[in-house]
Formats: sequence, C-alpha cells, structure tokens
Amino acid sequence: MSGSLLPRLRQTSRPTARLDRLGWAAGLSFISYGVRVGIRISSPDHDVLERLTACFPHGWKPARSPIVDRLYSVRLGDAGSPSSGHRLHRLYEGRTRLLRTPDLDGIVRALESQLQLCVAETARDRIFVHAGVVGWHERAIVLPGLTFSGKTTLVAALIRAGATYYSDEYAVLDARGWVHPYARPLSIREEGRVQGVKYPPEQLGAHSGTRPLPVGLVALSQYRRGARWRPRSLSPGQAMLALLANTVPARTRPAAALEALQQVVAHATTVRGIRGEAEETVDALLRNLMP
Amino acid sequence: MATRDPRAPQAREAELLVHDLTDETLVYDLTRHQAHSLNRTATLVWRRCDGRTTVAEMAALLERELGTPADEDVVWAVLRRLGRAHLLEERITLPADGIRCSRRELMRKLGLVGGLMLVTSAIAPPPALALTCVTSCSSPNSCEPCLGNQPTCTGKNVCCGGNCVSCTSSNCTGLPCKCN
Repeated sequence: MSGSLLPRLRQTSRPTARLDRLGWAAGLSFISYGVRVGIRISSPDHDVLERLTACFPHGWKPARSPIVDRLYSVRLGDAGSPSSGHRLHRLYEGRTRLLRTPDLDGIVRALESQLQLCVAETARDRIFVHAGVVGWHERAIVLPGLTFSGKTTLVAALIRAGATYYSDEYAVLDARGWVHPYARPLSIREEGRVQGVKYPPEQLGAHSGTRPLPVGLVALSQYRRGARWRPRSLSPGQAMLALLANTVPARTRPAAALEALQQVVAHATTVRGIRGEAEETVDALLRNLMP
Repeated sequence: MATRDPRAPQAREAELLVHDLTDETLVYDLTRHQAHSLNRTATLVWRRCDGRTTVAEMAALLERELGTPADEDVVWAVLRRLGRAHLLEERITLPADGIRCSRRELMRKLGLVGGLMLVTSAIAPPPALALTCVTSCSSPNSCEPCLGNQPTCTGKNVCCGGNCVSCTSSNCTGLPCKCN
C-alpha cells in the first residue's frame, strides 16, 4: 500500500468528503472479477497492512488507477488513549460505518467478508453462487448451500478422494454456465467453533483447478448424523429455484443469473437429499460423473 | 382496467422474466423478487391465459396435450395457484360452480395430469444472505453467531455475514435480522 495514490470513489458525496478530510496514511486500489475496490488506512502500520492485504478476495490484482467503485476505510484506534472512544477501530464502506470495535481481528474478518460480498455481488460477466465446487473427469460437481450446511467438509472429503479443488465458497459461473476456479484457502470449522481455520488446498493434498469446467452434477445436501445419502432428482425448474436461492446477485442481476443457471441445469443432473458423514457420501457423488 | 370474463383469465406479463425449460416454465417476478417453477400442467394453462380462452376450452386443451382426462376442476385449481403466485392480471375468484369435486378427488385428478406441485415458489435472497458467516461479533455490539441465518443483535446493529453492521447499511437491506 502506498500513500501517494490513495483510492477515491468515482463520485464523492459530501459526507464521504468529510471522511476524506480525516487524513489517510496509505491505500491500495485493486481489481477482482472486474470490480474496482479501494482500501485506505489511517496509520501506516506494516503489520496491519499485511493483515488487510491477506484478506483480499481471490484473484485480486493491483489497479493502476486510484478511481474505484467501492471504497473501504479503516481507522485504527489509539491503544494508549485514556478515552475509550479513541481506542476503538472503525471500518467504513463509503460513508457508512460498518463496525466499531477494539478488536482488530474483528475488523479484519469483517473487511474480508465485505470484500467477498462486494465482488460476488457486482462482478462483471460472472454469476457467484454460494457453493463448494470440485472438478472430476473434466466436469464440475457443485454443492450449493448456505452457512453451516457442511459444504467445506464435503469439498475436503472429495479432495481427499482425488477430486480437483475449485472452491469452498463460490461457484463462479460464466454465461455458458461453466464454472471458474475460486480456489481460496479452505475455511474448515473445528468442533464447537464458529470461525473457520484456513487451510491452503495443497495442505490437504489437493490440486487446484485452473480452467473453467462445465457442470456435471449439482448436489444439494444437508448433514444429519447417521443419515444415508439417498438423493432424489430435481426437475430443471426445481433445480433453478434451488440454485437461485444460493445466488448472490439473484436480486440485483436476475436476468444474467437466470441465463447462467439455465445453462447449468440444461447440462447437469441435480439431486437433493440428506447425507450422513461426508466420507460416506463422496463415492456416490463421484460415481455420478464416472466416464 | 377493463372488466374481463372471469372465466377467461389473463396472464400477467409486466415485470416478469420468463424462461422456457423442458416441460416447465421458470418465471421471475421482478417486483416481488420471487421465482416460480410451473410444471407442465401449470405451464399449459398459464400460456393459454390470453383473456379469450375460457376455462372449459383450457380443460379440453389440457386433455388433448397431456393425453389424460382433465376437466374444469383441474383448470380452476391451477388458476387459483397461479393467482396466488401473482402470475395473473387479476386474482381468480372461484365461481360458485368452480371446483365441484372433493379435495381428495381433486388431488387424484391433479395426480393424473402430472402432480400436485403445480407451482413451486422461492424468494430470491438479498446478496448478504448468500454469504458465509465468517465470525461471531465482538463487543461493543454483542452479536450472536449467525447460526441458521437467525441472527440477533443488540443496539442499533444487525448481524450481517457474521458481523455486526449498522441497521442502515445498504448491504443488509432485506435480511431477516432483528434489531432489539
């Protein structure tokens, strides 16, 4: 991050201008999936800058221009201040304060989640569906699901069985309905913990996919202890509804989302069911795409 | 709006995205952010809701297209469901002589023409809802983890993607969060 080219929004409103005047020590503009994002920080603390950069979305590249579509600002609190208000760190998106906390980890996690959402919502030419994805025999297995549905656990088990890692968070679809890699580190939750621990895919013995793949199977599953995976097939219409319920820009870009989803369901089998342990489900999933 | 023959319903066209699938139709309602999957029977009826075709004519058409007995009771049941999904210009009010059979008999008839799931609906999620919860929130805004997407927060904040954010944040508009 540098202080010479501080990022700024395309159009600055008056309240944002007030925030601009607070003084910013460093900043960075980057592009991810066609979205231009800027981050600025009130203090040039090298350690903090590194932590913020580490939470940038998958596939980000520094941008030359400081003009951005979305601007995030981090004001660090003063640990030595006697006033509790001054000890708090603050995170802003544009002129809106998103978070105020003495916990810097909270700021970093909130920024990471906001950046992911920002890119997933506004990416150009791509539709982000909340899903785990692996590649198997030149086709993708897409595992849609919201938080705590066990996507990452299933993805990790599929990787251990030899599948190629594409994503544990988003199926990134193009207009043909092909899925592109979003191979960020897997975020695996340990027993009793809400926050996941990050594992690079290589640490789990995974090869990460580099090329887009057509979708061969969409599997909607919900974990239940002791259950056996006996899924039922969904019709194309039911499959589109299920995918749409996990599509990030479903409301903001419904036409583009439906075009991509229609391509997916036209070429893939979609199944839904209750599953038991991930390892017991993996064989059945992979058998669907055997050559 | 001109008064139409209630027995010749009119399909809604405005603010809808329509995708034809094999034997089904996917309709997205841009006003309500709802998607509907119409099965083959509902698709055939909806496509004939042109303000001219009567219920009796639709029943005859269904019978011809599906190759199985279909009468006006079936058509009225489909129209009622289409109306509930806001896919007709005017919500259907069943005439006194509308569905003349028992509920059990109607279900049997619907089973014969392709199933009871005439129209399946789902609400398109706001962007922040399709986001993995990354953490529970820390002080000063005590926020419970977003387990099962039923977050609760205290103060003027909502839990969004596992984080406490301002209730006014545009990112959380429409989330099923509650502010205490």
